[in-house]
Amino acid sequence: MSTQTIPMPIAADSPSSSAAPPDSTAPLKPASLPGLFPGVALLFGIGLLGKLLQNATTILRTRYHLPVPHIEYVVWAIILGLIVSNFLGVARIFRPGIATYELWLKLGIVLVGARFLLQDVLHIGGLSLLLVAVELALSLSVMTLLGRIFRLPPKLTSLLAIGSSICGVTAIMAAQGAIDSDEEDTSTAIAAILTLGAIALVTFPAIGHSLHMGQQAYGMWAGLAVDNTAESVATGALYGQDAGRWTILAKTARSSFIGFVVLGYAVYWASKGKAAHVKNKPLFLWQKFPKFILGFLAISILATAGFFTQGQLNSISSLSQWAFLPAFAGVGLRTNMRDLVDQGWRPLAVGILGEVFIAIVTLGLVFWSYNHGVAR
Amino acid sequence: MATPETTRPAQPRHGLKLPINVDLLAIGIGLALAVLIRFGVIHQISF
Repeated sequence: MSTQTIPMPIAADSPSSSAAPPDSTAPLKPASLPGLFPGVALLFGIGLLGKLLQNATTILRTRYHLPVPHIEYVVWAIILGLIVSNFLGVARIFRPGIATYELWLKLGIVLVGARFLLQDVLHIGGLSLLLVAVELALSLSVMTLLGRIFRLPPKLTSLLAIGSSICGVTAIMAAQGAIDSDEEDTSTAIAAILTLGAIALVTFPAIGHSLHMGQQAYGMWAGLAVDNTAESVATGALYGQDAGRWTILAKTARSSFIGFVVLGYAVYWASKGKAAHVKNKPLFLWQKFPKFILGFLAISILATAGFFTQGQLNSISSLSQWAFLPAFAGVGLRTNMRDLVDQGWRPLAVGILGEVFIAIVTLGLVFWSYNHGVAR
Repeated sequence: MATPETTRPAQPRHGLKLPINVDLLAIGIGLALAVLIRFGVIHQISF
């Protein structure tokens, strides 16, 4: 069975050190199960604390009538993760376990399939595929143009275009080997995408509220415009539970394009003699396809076929939220504000301009879909 | 020509090798939990 490489969280051993300590550059050994425990415990600990804080503020507001704002556990988990990562620092012992946030995220997405009837998946998922196709064509073109204007290295431009048009870090990691890019370009592109994801967590809900967007429309927009899957799901959940699940549907539709886009870039760079030729294209597409989507579809099909009672569907849905709890903590833990200044201004400028363009285009597409009755 | 902003080494990121595909693991755990709920081994989970 193939192994999977999970991007490690960007966290310093010490919050006071401006440069990475020498031993932090040493490759991490393959994780053993006991080695994962401290980081997994930290993920769940932060997530649970976020849930407790949400409950505490609810009690203060309803029982004691104190003017405390309602803050969702999603926000608490991300904020607590950010505080730990940026001010306290994450010790090396926690890192392997923190990297499992991706497993919890994908498990949550698989389980949330129970909340969708297959006809919704086909209708909204199909609409998402159509919107993604438009978004892809425009965003890849604009990012390539911006990369040229800002004189970025061509392969860095390719990585930024792939990351911002499909699914962030996963797409960049998938493209790294296919287009034979430098480790440095890959790191810069990942840092830019994660920084932009952190910005989206703050800006998207504010824009959604100011435009009085409905849960489904906002969820579609967040799924189509926010790059990295974890940040996208969190951005949707910040707006509401319903928005969160529609975000997941749009995001999974978008992620399903990853193989085609990476293959396109691999063929392009191979034609220039700067990457290896792809010999078996169908196998390449299958290898790059995000297979957890199949689990999401399987649960959705079972739910539609009446395999579960309503109570059981509610339980599966609750389990998905428990799985998202450590995933959202992971979003905060691997976001390091130092990356804002460390990566240089050009990749970030290209990323911001490109993302603003993508956000406006996808917002327009979503509004058009709802105003013309295409979405329901 | 590369600019100083893009040639500065970014903070290194290391991959964590797990002995199993994360996607397949997520599918396996998800389906197993769903089946356990379906047949009453796990019941009434709330959030």
